[in-house]
Amino acid sequence: MSSSYGSLLPSAARSVLSLCRPPLRQAPMAPFLAGFQQQTRGFKKGKKEKKEKEAAKKARKGPRDFVQKDLKDVEQFALCDAMRYIRAFEVGRDPAVTKYEVHVRLKTKRDGPVIRNMLRFPHSVQTESRICVICPPGSRHEKEARAAGAVLVGEQEVFDKVKNGQLEFDRVICHPDSLEALNKAALGRILGPRGMMPSAKTGTVVEDVANRVEMLRGGTVYRERDAVIRLPIGQLRFSPEELRDNLRATLNQIKKDAAGLNDRITKEIYEVVLSSTHGPGFSLTGEFQSENSPDTALLRGM
Amino acid sequence: MVNLFKRMRKLKSRIVNIRIGTGAAILPTPTSATPDFPAITRLHLTYARKIYNGHQGARHFWRNCLPRLKYHNPGVPMSVKQTDDQEGPAALTIYFAERASKPASVTAAAAQLIDKHAPAPADSEKTTVVDVRNLDYKEIWNKVMNVTGAQEVPATPEEEAEVKRFEQMKEQSGRDRVRIAAIRQAKKDQERMLQIARGEVEKLKQL
Repeated sequence: MSSSYGSLLPSAARSVLSLCRPPLRQAPMAPFLAGFQQQTRGFKKGKKEKKEKEAAKKARKGPRDFVQKDLKDVEQFALCDAMRYIRAFEVGRDPAVTKYEVHVRLKTKRDGPVIRNMLRFPHSVQTESRICVICPPGSRHEKEARAAGAVLVGEQEVFDKVKNGQLEFDRVICHPDSLEALNKAALGRILGPRGMMPSAKTGTVVEDVANRVEMLRGGTVYRERDAVIRLPIGQLRFSPEELRDNLRATLNQIKKDAAGLNDRITKEIYEVVLSSTHGPGFSLTGEFQSENSPDTALLRGM
Repeated sequence: MVNLFKRMRKLKSRIVNIRIGTGAAILPTPTSATPDFPAITRLHLTYARKIYNGHQGARHFWRNCLPRLKYHNPGVPMSVKQTDDQEGPAALTIYFAERASKPASVTAAAAQLIDKHAPAPADSEKTTVVDVRNLDYKEIWNKVMNVTGAQEVPATPEEEAEVKRFEQMKEQSGRDRVRIAAIRQAKKDQERMLQIARGEVEKLKQL
């Protein structure tokens, strides 16, 4: 062994080693290991670095698709059973805060376009979204906006209220005909910091006011992140039928989005998980009820 | 996505814990009501945010027993109000259809509590307020069972086996954690020793 590392070490080091040989003999392990390691390091250096580079390249690319776990190992639930458990987990929570959520797992590639869209539920998830509409008083749009459920409609009366600090709404929509009056009223200072100032960029200056009001009242924005779409889907007081309607609407919309993306890209729904604000996630079978699930009338209210 | 095995183990241990345990009982419904124990229509719990002055048990009751009660009685509305008033009452209001049960009228006479956060009873409902201050959650549960006449749901052998299995897994994972920690520590020690040894050679070279 001594000859092997002797030949590798520079002559100066060799002489040093031979100088302190007696103490080293007592602990032969340390120099042996050190010499051995030096040898391998020098010997393998070129090849190893190349390999590492290749590995890094591969790792950067990764697999093309998201890994899909086999759903055979997952216990799945009918909608009513999942709701029963979730309602038990959410007992005593603030009903205004707790929501049912749905997580839709997609079968998709890692790269490529993602689904992002807006959706209107048959049963509105947010109840407290109050909308103000600015449009010429006495016009057709005023009637439509009121019919669609806007809280406050008008032009001058809205401006007066805002200036007095009475902001009894969460969103503001403006009709293009009233845009000039709005800009004159200089409400930007009050509405701006709250993110409520209407502008064409945010889509809050629109011709079809009534439609927009309905969209905003029941609409939810969703997008795909890491092959999962997550969105709130209902209030905890919903009955199973209401939740089923919302769920069906969501899945149909997602399917439509996936079909409309591109011919070459296929996205499929792989797993649907029902969860809630504080509860765990329950993978759904797609059935509405199982034999031992309770009566649907019991699964509503608080 | 989380490892499926991990995900299922966590979910299953949580839901079996909701099906059985303290508070897993069926309250009298209109069909199963007896003259002594009329049907329960609603429950409301009020307690203070912190545990001082005996509010701990009430919170534990909410955490442990109420989900199980809700699971076995999905149709009974249950609400919880958390107050900031530490001196205020910790009270469980039970709403009976038509009239209160016999034990309920006895406890109500003794307690004389008024819970102003509880929702007002309907015309046909009678309420009883149970004082739950300074009580353990198990004691609260015993009181509730006495007053309402709830029938406990016994665990099936499969459920018991499942709970046992999860407990064994928990123990095993504790042992494994120790074992793996030892292996990792040994590896670290080895590397440190090598580092020191290498440093010695460097020193020798410089001499």
